[in-house]
Parts: sequence; C-alpha cells; structure tokens
Amino acid sequence: MGYPEYPSLIRGGHNTVQVRISEKPILSPRSSQDLLIALNKDAVFYHMSTMSKGGAIIYDELIDISKFGKRSDVRMYPLPLSKLTQEAGGTEQMKNMAALGAALGIVDYPFQMIDHLIRDEFGRKGEEVVKKNIDAAKAGYDHVRTNHFDFPIKLKPVSDAKRLIITGNEAIALGAVRGGMSFYAAYPMTPASSILHYLAEIEREFGILVKQTEDEIAAMNYAIGASYAGARAMVGTSGGGFALMVEALGMAAMSETPIVAVISQRSGPSTGLPTWTEQGDLRFAMHCSQGDFPRIILAPGDVQECFFLTAKALNLAEKYQMPVIVLSDKHLSETVFTTEPFNQSKVKVERGKIADAGSLPPLAPMERWHRYALADDGVSPRVFPGTPNGEHVASSYEHDVNGFSTENFVMRAKQVDKRARKLKEALKEMSAPVIYGHKDAKIAIIGWGSMKIPILDALPLLDNAGIKVKYVHFTHIFPLERKAVKKALRGCKTLIAAENNSTAQFAGVLKEHAGVDMDFCLLKYDGRPFFPEQIAEQVQGLSKKEFKGDKDITVVEKEDLEYYNTQKYGL
Amino acid sequence: MMAELTINDFNAKERPQWCPGCGNFAIMGAIRGALLDLRIPPHQTVISSGIGCSSKMPHYVRTYGFEGLHGRTLPVASGIKLANHKLNVIAVGGDGDGYGIGMGHFQHIMRRNYDLTYIVHDNQIYGLTTGQASPTSQLGMKTKTTPYGVVETPFNPVASAILGGATFVSRVFAGDMAHMKGILMQAMAHRGFALVDVMQPCVTFNKLNTYEFFTKRCYKLDSEVKKHDPSDRLAAIEKALEPEKTNYERIPLGVFYKVDRPIYEDSLPQIKDKALVEHDISDVDISGAFKDMM
Repeated sequence: MGYPEYPSLIRGGHNTVQVRISEKPILSPRSSQDLLIALNKDAVFYHMSTMSKGGAIIYDELIDISKFGKRSDVRMYPLPLSKLTQEAGGTEQMKNMAALGAALGIVDYPFQMIDHLIRDEFGRKGEEVVKKNIDAAKAGYDHVRTNHFDFPIKLKPVSDAKRLIITGNEAIALGAVRGGMSFYAAYPMTPASSILHYLAEIEREFGILVKQTEDEIAAMNYAIGASYAGARAMVGTSGGGFALMVEALGMAAMSETPIVAVISQRSGPSTGLPTWTEQGDLRFAMHCSQGDFPRIILAPGDVQECFFLTAKALNLAEKYQMPVIVLSDKHLSETVFTTEPFNQSKVKVERGKIADAGSLPPLAPMERWHRYALADDGVSPRVFPGTPNGEHVASSYEHDVNGFSTENFVMRAKQVDKRARKLKEALKEMSAPVIYGHKDAKIAIIGWGSMKIPILDALPLLDNAGIKVKYVHFTHIFPLERKAVKKALRGCKTLIAAENNSTAQFAGVLKEHAGVDMDFCLLKYDGRPFFPEQIAEQVQGLSKKEFKGDKDITVVEKEDLEYYNTQKYGL
Repeated sequence: MMAELTINDFNAKERPQWCPGCGNFAIMGAIRGALLDLRIPPHQTVISSGIGCSSKMPHYVRTYGFEGLHGRTLPVASGIKLANHKLNVIAVGGDGDGYGIGMGHFQHIMRRNYDLTYIVHDNQIYGLTTGQASPTSQLGMKTKTTPYGVVETPFNPVASAILGGATFVSRVFAGDMAHMKGILMQAMAHRGFALVDVMQPCVTFNKLNTYEFFTKRCYKLDSEVKKHDPSDRLAAIEKALEPEKTNYERIPLGVFYKVDRPIYEDSLPQIKDKALVEHDISDVDISGAFKDMM
C-alpha cells in the first residue's frame, strides 16, 4: 500500500509517500520507516526520529546534515545522486529516479520492474523522457550494486498475479460506474476531487456524464434534476461542500428523488485541515437538513468495500427513493491499496419501482399521475418525464398523492408516515457488522469505515502480545439493526471503540440506536489516521491496568516532527 | 394515434392561488398556448421552478413539473436537460429567485448554453414573502425592507444576459398575452439558452410598476420604423439600457438579441445517439478500467 501525506500548501511543502510491502495482506501505514528516500534536507531531518532501528536513509551526498543530531542505530547512505543523474544525461528532477533505482538495488529487487513502471508512467511523454528516466534509475541501481551496502531487508518478486493498485476514491468511482451511475456532479474539493478527476477521465469510455458545476449547491440540484429525469445520479464532496448541499438533500427526501452523496471527510470544522483525515462528519451526515426524514448512511473501510458499497448505495437510493450518504475520508480516499480485481458480477443493478411506460392508463382530464400514492411499504412507483400519462409535480413542499402542495393535516401526517415506512423496509438490507480476529474474544474493538485500515493491522500485533481481541467492523451505519449489533457484541466483556474524531460520534450512535455502552473510546483527531501500533499499544495499556481508567483516551503522535520549527534548526 | 392536442390537455385541476389580477395568470395562459401551438404534448415538457409566487407554475400547467428550492430552478432544469435532452425543459422563477438568491446559476447557465427556456416573472418585488425589495426594484422604491427607498442600483437582466452569453434574450409584458405567447414560442424553438424576462405587475405589493405604468411605457422593438437587428449585440445592449437611460419612460419589448452558438449538449458524444436516460445501465462492464490500474 502507499500512504500519501501532504500539507495544504500551494508550493507543496513537505510531501511524503509511505510504501509498505508484504507477502501478507496489509492495509495501513506504520509510524516508523525501514528505508527512507530523502529528496531534500528537510526530509532527512523530519524523519530521523521516525526511522526504525537498523533502518536506512538514502539521500544526496550534497545535502549537508552536519548540524543534525544523528542516530547510531540508523544507516546513513549519502549517494552521489545528482552526479549519477547528470552523468546519465538526466535533468535535476530525475535524481528521484536515481534514488528509486538505488533503493531497489539496496533491497536486491530486479531492475526490470522499474523499467516497466517508467514506461507506463512516462510513455505518453515520448521515448526521450522514458530513456532519460530509466538511465537515471539504472545509474542509481548500478551504483549501489557495485558498492557495498549492508542493508538487511531484501525483497524478491513473489507472484506474477496481476492485482489492482487503486485508491479509495477510484474504487468509489468504479463502483458507481458498475452500479449504473450515469450522472455525476461535483465542485472540486479535497479530498473528494480525485473522484471527479477519475470520472471525468473515463466518462466517454463508459457513456456517463460528469459535470463540474459552479458550486456544490448547483452540483446537488443538478444531480437531483438528473435523477428525477431518470438518470442514476451521484455527487461527491467533503464536509464543507456537503454543507452547501444540505438544503437540497432535504428536497431529495421530500420529493423522494433518489440521490447518492459521497462525503470524503477531512479535519474540520470549517476549512479545517484540508489535506488531513478525520471521521468527524458522521453526526452531520445523520442529522443535517431541516425536518424529519429517512436516509441511509454507509461507510466503506477498504477499496473492496468502496466498490461494492457505492454500487449498493445507488441501488438503495433508487429502491427506497431517499438520500444515501457514503462516508469516506482522506485516509481511505487517497491511500493507494493493492487488491484483487473487483468481482463485478456480484453487482446487480436494482432500480426499484418504476412505472412501466407502456402500461400507464390514460389520465382523466386535468388529472395527474399519483406519484406519491400511500403505498403499504412507503415506496410508490416513480415515473420519468417523457412517459405519457405520468405527468405529476415533484415538490419540495409537502404534497398530496399527485404532488400538489397541501397543508391538509391528515395528508401531511400520512406523507410523513409514508416516507418513514421506507426506512423500515430499507433496514432489512443493512448488513450486520463483520467480525475479524478471535470470534470468541472477550475484548472487542469497535470501528467503522476507514478504521478497518489500522485495526486489521493491529490485530497481529495484539496476537503477538498475547491479547485476544476481535474487531467488530461497521459499514452499514444507519439505520442500525439493534439485534444485529447486540449479536455481534454478545459475550464481550470489554468494548473499545476506536474513531478518528474527538467526540466518539459512532459510540454515541451505538448507544442511542442499539443501547450499547462502550467501556473505552480511543480517539485520534490530530489530522492523521491511527497507526496500528497506537491501537495495539493502547489496548495493551488497558489490559495491564485490568481495563480500569478514564473512558475517553486521546491518541496523539509521540514525536512532533517539528514541522513548524524548522527555523530553530537552521533549515 | 394520439388524439389532437387541445388547450385542455395543458389545464390542471388545481386552482391558482395567485391574487386576482396577478400577471402570473397571463403568463400561465401564454405558456399553455405556446405549448399547444408548438404541438408539444404535455408529457414531453418539464417545468422546473424555484420558490415564490411564480414558482407555483408547475402545478397549473399540466406537464411534468419540479418545484424545487428558492433560487435553484436553473440547476435542477440543467440536470433534467442533461439527463434527457429530448425533453422540452422550461425553467420558471421570479426576480428574487433568479436574480437574487440564484444569481450565480443564472450567470453560469448562459456560458453553457443548454437548450432550455428560462421565464422570469420579474415583478420587481418579493410577493410570496409579502413585499420586500428585490434585485430589480427601482431606485427610491419604498418597500417593507426599504422604508426610506431603495438605494441599490437595480439589476439589469436583459443587458446582463446579452453580455453573459445568453443566445436568446427577450422581454415581454404580462399585460400583452398574445405578444408574450409569440415570444415564448420563439424562445422554446430557439436552440440554446433563451431568457424571457416578463414585466409582471404585482397588484398587491408593487404599487409603482402597475399595468398602467407598463402600458404607458412599453413599446415593441419590431414596431419601430428603423427595425432593431437582434443579431447586433451592441445595438441589443443599447436597447437593454434604454429603460435606465430614459428613467423608465421607454421600455422595449421583444427579442433584443439572438445568435446561433453550439449548445452544450452538442459537446457530449455520449448522448449523441441516445439520451442519457436511454443508456442501458444494467450491466456496465468495467473490466477495461482494470488494465490501467494493474
């Protein structure tokens, strides 16, 4: 997997990508690194403290690090990266390729891989660019092969199997396309923008329509218009953009127009930390927009879930004619994962009740189609414009069965009940939480959405520490089936929620809707996701204290990377 | 075979809630008449609206309708048009709806030039909320929110639309239903974004811009000796500025500006043969996308 971190700075600032390689499935970045490619002085400095024991730092020998404190347990590899790149005919920027080549050489990996990679990435820029980059990489590779480096970690190819290398946002986009989404409207906003970028790139290939609108208000209203006309419509944004969509979300509920909204959460409130992660918008998604109305909230935890739950969200929105919100976050949306190709045959498009164009009986003079008939299950058939005898009004006002505005008290109450009945039906489609780890464990970690990433990687660490736990993973967040929650937690003596927010939002939802109380809440809200070690460490700590102590436990990074104290160190 | 269309096909049983004498009645009649004369059956038209007196229109003209949120008639209409560009889409709203809260959408839809018609019931006052100043209220006009008179320069929708990229810009008077119907038919037949700004007296809250006020001041562009050339953009702006220049003594009606420009829908190969809603979405094969990710 590959985990990017970047600040919200126009000229870039300190950008990192952490790549983890393993024969076993892994999801999460770690808090320490074994091999660091430092492309500038800052990078050497920032990461000195995060290097694992015995790790190595590759950097250009021209970088003067004499002022820094060094660690005796970290290998320092100053390499002639600029010189090698120049000699290979490359430009200054290509020294990153020399460094990549060197890294590959140090771990004994065949060079061929990087050759393929460069051709894939730079092929469209022409043979000259490809050749220069490959030459630079080869120079770095050969340099470390001819000189001795005592790095203990070695890598070798283990399989020829082709797997997808994909971000959460790309998986959401593909899930939407497979799920029959034909219309996507959005306004650029980190960290949701890459859904818009990717869909725009593939829109002609798949015959969908992608519209960048003037703002998020327009995006939501466009999508609702398209959905009313019969397209499968979706919007995507982050919390701030979603705030602008909220009025129209209520309109989708009132007019019973299906809509799927993807919120890729970032640290709030307000502009917050635009490029960092948080799970702080759950309560917002649950309660936003005026009035009482039903909605569904799903939260995928990995790229497979991104794919299948987005497709499912589109089905649910149309079957139950209500807003469905898919909650991702920066961590899941922008981290790159490897996964098996999605088994697309498992996605079945279900459009719910749509009146057949051929079968609508003639309307009496001046009459309308009863679009909002008081169906037993609450779901009255939709009919799309262009269908003879289906004329009706969809309205943001409370309405009668034909869509005409009404303030009749009896009809008002009936329409509220009609809309509410749909949620009872939809509840049957809400999957129970999935249990990972030791099924009979007395300690349960409870997480939702992207918390799956660090928690699954924390399970082996806890195993090694001799602590038996299970992970109860929620993807179907609302409505919650009380019985399913109780069943998943049956037999557990200690319940530990872990969430990327400061107020344990999902723990509150569990208490309110399933009547279960958490014993502890691990909370992290500094902008970063949890690292698996942090979860393992906290659970171990609780175990040592025999699970006594304060309920809310804030998790912060041990080491401040001194990002904002560079002047102190003369950087 | 479908029976011959009659005006009754566009009549709805809902009784309009407008005040007696409201200009909206004539606009409703003109829309029904234009749809009939263009022979567009009711199920082929969608009327989208915002919130306001004018935005009740979808209820009273029996077609498909979407009564949305205040200021958002244009984005809903745009979404409907993109999803099914074969439909006749009419967006309706008032001056507060379109030139106030929804102003941003108005500017952007003109750049895009979707093939739809936008009718603004411009009564220069907020009616449904009982008489506050609107973006087109005349300078000095006293309203509930401007007891000392309006001090903000009124928005000039016609001039803005000519500059903003609209490809059909017109103004009509609700007191002349026959002329209004004719212009509406031209607007609907126009291939591109068509604005019809309707001078619409609000008999309850606007005591300044009355039927008498407009009857005295309005004249038709094509009735002049030297005929206005609607393909001349600068001349169109001149005409659009005439009410301001003459202190509202002369208000031109008719088509100010008309130009042919490719519509947004033409740029979309994915809807060249079939409307978006006609695409088969039941089994979209995405395996082609996997290759780029391996």
